[in-house]
Amino acid sequence: MGVQASNVTFAPWRWVIGSDMNDADDVRAVLAGDVDAYARLVDRYYDRCARYAVRMLGNRDDAEDALQATFLRAYRALARYKEQDKFSAWLYRILVNQCRSVAARRNHRDKVFIREEALLLNAPDRDRMWSGEDEEFVQRVLAELDPLLREAFVLKYIEELSYEEMATLTGVGISALKMRVKRACDRLRDRWERIKDE
Amino acid sequence: MSEQELHPNVEWIAREARRPVVLGAGARERLLDAIREEPLPERPSRVEWFTGRRRVALSPLVGAALAAGLVGIGVLAGRFSNDDGRDRDDRTAVGQPETVATAPSGQLPSNTDTVRVLKFVLVAPQAASVSVVGDFNGWDAKATMMTKTRTGGTWSVTMRIPAGRHLYAFVVDGKQWMADPSAPLAPDDGFGTPNSVALVGGSSS
Repeated sequence: MGVQASNVTFAPWRWVIGSDMNDADDVRAVLAGDVDAYARLVDRYYDRCARYAVRMLGNRDDAEDALQATFLRAYRALARYKEQDKFSAWLYRILVNQCRSVAARRNHRDKVFIREEALLLNAPDRDRMWSGEDEEFVQRVLAELDPLLREAFVLKYIEELSYEEMATLTGVGISALKMRVKRACDRLRDRWERIKDE
Repeated sequence: MSEQELHPNVEWIAREARRPVVLGAGARERLLDAIREEPLPERPSRVEWFTGRRRVALSPLVGAALAAGLVGIGVLAGRFSNDDGRDRDDRTAVGQPETVATAPSGQLPSNTDTVRVLKFVLVAPQAASVSVVGDFNGWDAKATMMTKTRTGGTWSVTMRIPAGRHLYAFVVDGKQWMADPSAPLAPDDGFGTPNSVALVGGSSS
């Protein structure tokens, strides 16, 4: 695996589906005519949505498209958001669906990052520093998963949602989600082993 | 199924994938520019929605059903597909559904040319609560709770609905949003869950 000079200390944040009074205030402000309040909502959730979109879609161009569609749809439908619900969960549901739509429209084989499989030969090193090659490897193995398995894996182990939260977002039953996550993990592990043996 | 302990290699993949990503330069600015070009979102007026008269075009099938005094909506029959992220495991959340006959609206009073009475029915024996959401109640999951029959797992609610084309769905246990498999699905609106379509006649004659 490649190693770059920067020693980034990374504190992973998780998507928190929780009540946020600022969100409700900003939504009310937008509906009252303050467009800039929507920029605050965008700022609050843009990075988190970007990560999900990139992990799901495998490249930044499609992810940007999905993000733009997500925030525009949410803006147009803001009157449908109910304050008793979590704005983040409502937005995330739109994002999940947009990523599904983008993935369905494209020929993802033309879009995913393709790298030499030699990148995969080294075992992971827990002390290794951040590497762009590592990201491309991660994008590749995720892209090789069936979309439903990838979605479940990303929500569970990258966004670190509970199964209850995942069920709320996706409309899929918890038992089905658990099965998808398990299959995704099995396939990722098998894929890794196969590459090492090649 | 209990949560599994991740294989070290899979854990490494997950850990790497949790790193933040940066989109192309100017992506956020392009998004905000696009939003500024949009008209301001407006709150719909519920009063206007419920009192406004509407002209609607009915399909021959729906017209025939209305002429016979029948409006049946809301039967959970369990058609799920993988395309929209649902599969048959979902049904376990509400128990095995079964098809039931819906009560005809002809049994119920209908007072005006522009309002009809519809009965929504859902079979969900294991559900703790069921509500119907739609454009007629502001998509509020707490606005129209359905009542469970004393025997069986049938939930129902009767509503006065203005004539027109309406989108609706069911919300089971406050969180599981599902379309009515016995009714036509609405085109995907991008909100992650499918809705059903009800066409309600606008004339009593």
